[in-house]
Amino acid sequence: MNLHRRLIDSAARRPDAPAVVDEAGTRTYRELDDLAGAIARRLAALGVRRGDRVVLWADKSAAVVAAMQGVLRLGAAYVPVDGASPAGRVAALARDCGARAVCVGDARLGALRAELGADAEYLDLDVPLAADGPSPDETCEPDDLAFILYTSGSTGTPKGVCISHRAALAFVDWAVGLLDATSADRFANHAPFTFDLSVLDLYAPLTVGASVHLIPAALGYAPGQLVDLLYEREITVWYSVPSVLILMMRDGGLLDRAPSAALRAVLFAGEPFPIPYVRRLADWTSAPLFNLYGPTETNVCTFHRVEPADLGRDRPVPIGRPSCGDDVWAVRPDGAPAAEGDEGELMVDGPTVMLGYWGGEPQRGAYATGDVVRVLPGGAFDYVGRRDHMVKVRGHRIELGEVEAALAAHPDVDQVSVVVAGTAVNARLVAFIVPGPGRAPGVLELKEHSSRRLPRYMIADRFHLVPELPRTRNGKVDRTLLVERHVERTVSVT
Amino acid sequence: MSHDQLSEHLISFIRDRFLAGDPRGELTATSPLLEWGVLDSLNTAVLLTHIRDDLGIAIPPAKVSARFFKDVRSIAEMIDDLPQTAKADGAHHGA
Repeated sequence: MNLHRRLIDSAARRPDAPAVVDEAGTRTYRELDDLAGAIARRLAALGVRRGDRVVLWADKSAAVVAAMQGVLRLGAAYVPVDGASPAGRVAALARDCGARAVCVGDARLGALRAELGADAEYLDLDVPLAADGPSPDETCEPDDLAFILYTSGSTGTPKGVCISHRAALAFVDWAVGLLDATSADRFANHAPFTFDLSVLDLYAPLTVGASVHLIPAALGYAPGQLVDLLYEREITVWYSVPSVLILMMRDGGLLDRAPSAALRAVLFAGEPFPIPYVRRLADWTSAPLFNLYGPTETNVCTFHRVEPADLGRDRPVPIGRPSCGDDVWAVRPDGAPAAEGDEGELMVDGPTVMLGYWGGEPQRGAYATGDVVRVLPGGAFDYVGRRDHMVKVRGHRIELGEVEAALAAHPDVDQVSVVVAGTAVNARLVAFIVPGPGRAPGVLELKEHSSRRLPRYMIADRFHLVPELPRTRNGKVDRTLLVERHVERTVSVT
Repeated sequence: MSHDQLSEHLISFIRDRFLAGDPRGELTATSPLLEWGVLDSLNTAVLLTHIRDDLGIAIPPAKVSARFFKDVRSIAEMIDDLPQTAKADGAHHGA
């Protein structure tokens, strides 16, 4: 039950088959396997041992995929960080998780060393490594830590979600079965490696000896280019947030083209998919459409295959029924189990649930998602909303308090409130700032300041400097009014 | 369009669209656009559309990467290095 056996086994069966396609070209299974082995040996020489953590800081590439495998082969766990994050933030995360080493790409080793110093060892992914010996292959226990995904925390600090080999494989094997994936498949990887959607894109192909096509972050929302890639690479399985599919349909000309003959499954997750776009997508392709649901803490725990009857709904398709061997149920506000027609908080127990947050208590028993659902006739679930102030922007979950805490730490910011304006692909994080008595901070300065403390998707898109924040009668910041003011201020210029 | 004109044009567009006009004039040709979240994936898409429709330049997918979009200078240099056909092709689409 080891996540890293998937590449080793597929490389033995299909050494010359394409494994990873990125901007630099195609890597075969043998090449990926050799590179993973070389990275594992190098990390071992740097002192990485079973139970250690290794941070990966680079833009998406085959080398980063190999580095993930190299780390796992030592019985250690990898911690992916957005390649575009500044060195200061990478250093902070590396310290938080006590990383033994950092794998760095894109010629930025010097920048990180200046921030992190001797607190970790370094491996430069830009430097070719010789394949000069057998690869390590530690046998891990199912509950051993495989990777940590950092996600937004309400208290102002990010939380590291700890995922075991068991949890990752429960999801991957379920997905392989759902898709009936084979070595002939070509998976697209749209999501960043920091986002749990990428676990399917990477490990389902490695399991069956298929290929994965990495989409660079900069291309992530370029609609025309994404549509071209779908056809040129003859992608068979597409998995992304709905916002990306909407862009491809609305601005990328997807629906004007003959349906792709190669495409045989479209999966989406991370946010509700407005039903008019689901309808258009279903009219265009005969490939099955799957709505997958689950917070990072549980990965995918429910799923729903879109049926013709769903297309007549006026609300998003259901999040569906339990997946991956999980038990999933809803609890009403009064503590009783939710019955048909009731609303309640969704609870998840089973193999995909996280080990816990890094540095926190181990997760015991069911995980309470904070998501409110309605129980449909027959037992499937409809998503209703959140219990708290967490929001989603294009699939990324964001605690507004964390964004506000980062901005409030700027010396020229007196008060701040952050809201989300718009929905789906048009959603924007908007910050209202009351400057301190000294000087008014510049927009670029606030972005730079935020980038040191937050992942990029949590940096506010728009800033408004205001003399004071509007309050409701009970003294809270009036967020509804802030959203209205943002719309008023921007409607004239867009 | 010369390199400097192109650079100025890009700075002006990014200021207007992504930095609320940049009232303090902070943006330069070497401000890190990706690192500071000025260009997220969505804004990059808006910029690409603008370059195609208003400048008549089609940027091939292989050039849409962090290396070429890290700051205004890199974008302008990448566009300078594109073959003439890419520029003509883009103008055709944009027309």
